[in-house]
Formats: sequence, structure tokens, C-alpha cells
Amino acid sequence: MKTPPDESQIVRWLDGEMTASERSAFEAMLTQDPELRAEIDSLSRLGETLRKNLPVERELPHADFFNSQIQVRISQEEMQSAREESRASLRQSWFSGFRLPWVLAAASAVVALVAVTFRPTEDERASFVISSYAPNPSVQARTFHSDEANATVLMLEGLTALPPDRKIVGHQVFRSETDQEVATTTLFSETGDVLLVLAKGAENRPQVIPRSPRS
Amino acid sequence: MKPDMPSPNAPVDGEVSDLELVKRCQAGDTRAFDALVTKYRNRIYSMAYHIIQNETEAWDISQEAFIKAWRAMGSFKSDASFYTWLYRITHNVCYDWMRKKKFESEGEFDDSEREHRVAAGAEAVPRGAPRPDQAMKNAELKVQIDWAISQLSPDHRQIILLKEMDGLSYQEIADVMKCSLGTVMSRLFYARKKLQELLKETYENAA
Repeated sequence: MKTPPDESQIVRWLDGEMTASERSAFEAMLTQDPELRAEIDSLSRLGETLRKNLPVERELPHADFFNSQIQVRISQEEMQSAREESRASLRQSWFSGFRLPWVLAAASAVVALVAVTFRPTEDERASFVISSYAPNPSVQARTFHSDEANATVLMLEGLTALPPDRKIVGHQVFRSETDQEVATTTLFSETGDVLLVLAKGAENRPQVIPRSPRS
Repeated sequence: MKPDMPSPNAPVDGEVSDLELVKRCQAGDTRAFDALVTKYRNRIYSMAYHIIQNETEAWDISQEAFIKAWRAMGSFKSDASFYTWLYRITHNVCYDWMRKKKFESEGEFDDSEREHRVAAGAEAVPRGAPRPDQAMKNAELKVQIDWAISQLSPDHRQIILLKEMDGLSYQEIADVMKCSLGTVMSRLFYARKKLQELLKETYENAA
């Protein structure tokens, strides 16, 4: 009675993982069993077909944005962790200071001072840009926080000057009636033509719709 | 490994090796990490996409995998392959996502949510349709293969891709999927049998 090969023998034969002696014993088995031979040949053709037709890589959409987002998240996490460490270190010295008897005597005066030191400042609550990325190497991006405007300002240097017919003189924001978060921004030229429409795509990512002449 | 595919870890001329980049990352060099992201982002995205079958989720999962890799960079041992280590992290992120999804849907995966199932495409190109040239024939075969792979369970889908697409060894697959060599061989066997069942007519006719 023939002993059918187990799964691992078939798999290892297909992947060329058998030793020479295992291989010759398995192939001897194949000559005795045409049904098994046909099955093995079919699986072998399947493997060839897969290797020939499977794409090794799939193109990642918005690849530059993907990288820059990772860099931003790393920077944010490191800033956060540095802040926590700094606070922990301050607390540590605060509590260890209490172990000294002479410090207890001055405790009431110190409490007021430390409370002020620990209170988060306005700047800490404000949002700020940790890193910026410009895909065009000739463009330099820098950011700063404007107290006057209470906003983060993004400066782009090295951009080509806009031709007069692309000069933006006005904009209009259209919000969805059902969802105020969904909006498109239309930028207009001096002549009232639509220069650009900015919106969010289905994946909630920024989308620029090319300009079209005013109808 | 596939004979026509160089090891993903092998540096080409003028390229810095993974190990060198990893050492720089361990010293806090985020630019070195950016170079690793650029090198592996398509492969990681492909893997996540094939497991999850959804482009948007695969994009987010790939990003999460790289962030986790950055956080765990200190624990990476230089005697291991960065590529399989990164794959293992991606595998874990994908499976965490699937567990969460399963929990949220109170039971089973909702197949209707898969964005890029190609079954519809396969139906649009019936098997008996005329094939005017080889390019058309190959394109159809790729669609059929993509569809057949999407029909496999996540474990079987991943093992086929790790073996046939990335050319990993049994041991590397076992490391990525955290299972024994016996389980790798068994899963490979049943995944291939299932694909054979789904594709036999197609690939035998295409030969």
C-alpha cells in the first residue's frame, strides 16, 4: 500500500527545500503515482504563474506626504516626551526637596513660586509647526507664531512669481449645508475668473481642483 | 528568494545599508529613518493592502507600522534583518486593526467594506471572452489572481504574498507571522490548494 506524501513534503518539494536524498525519494514516489505527479505539476504551474504575475510592490499614494507625516509625528512625540521628562524631573526635585527638614520651614513661600512655574504658559497651549517639508528643494519653508494675529504664519521663499492672470484677489468659502466641516474654498483673479478650488477628498485629504474659466 | 529579485536588504552601489541607517536611527537621526521609509514604504503598503484589502486603511496602517518601528528602534538587534523585523511590526499592526474591526462589527468582517475587491472586474471579463492579444490576456490573468488572493483568509493571503511575492524563506515567514515552521508549511499548502481550486482553469488555459 502506497503512503501518500504529507503536506510538508509537497510544499518543500515545490519550494526546492528538500535535501538531495529527500528529493530523489520523493521523485521516485512521483513516478509510481501519476495522479500525484499531475497534482504536483499543477501546483508547480500555479507557483510559476503567481511569481510571474504578482506585483512585487504597490505604489503608495501621496508618498511624499506619507514621509512628511511620519517625520511630523516623530517630532511631535519627541517634543511631548521631552516635555514630560522635564516636568517629571521638576516634580522629582520638588518632592525630594521636601525630604530635607530645613526646606519644610520655607515650604509656604516655595509653594506659591512653584505653582507659577508649573502653570502652562499661553505659548504651551498654542499650536505650532514642529517641522515643515517642501517637495521642491529650491523652496524654503519657515514658520513662526504671530502674537498679533494669534496665528501660525507659513513663509515660502523661492517660489516663482505668479503671473498677473493668476494673481489672487479674492476668495470665497462654500460650506455644506448638512456638515459645516465640509467646505470648498474658491480663489478668484482680478477679472473674477476662478483660479483654484481647494477641497477635501473622500479620504479627508487636501485636494486641488484645477482652475476652469468662468462660465 | 526569487532568482530575479535582489534581497531587499542588499544595498545597491552607492546606497547606504539598512544596518548603517538603523544605527543612525538608533542615535536619533530622523533623516536616516526617512531613507528607510522611502526604501520600504511601497512594500509595506503592498503588504498592508493585501491583508486589509482597503487602500485608505492600508495607507494609515503603513504609517502606524513605521511609527511603531521608530519607537522600537532601540530594541532592534543588528543580527536580524531589518526588513523582516519591519514586516513583523506591520503584521502586528494589521492584525490589531482586524481585531479592532472585528470587535467593532460584533463578529465577522464585513466583506462589503472592501474597497478594491476585483471580483466585479473579473465578472466584467468573462472567461469565455475573446482575448485579442497577449497583453490583454496577461492583464486578465492578473485580475483573476488578485481576485483569487482576496478570497483567501488573511493568514493564507499573507503567507502566499510573503512566499511568492517577497520570496521570504520559511524561517523568515515564521518570524514575521510568529508561528512554527510546521504551521508555515501547512498554511502554504492549504493556501495553494485554495488558489489552485480558484484559478486552475485560468492558469492552465493561459499556459
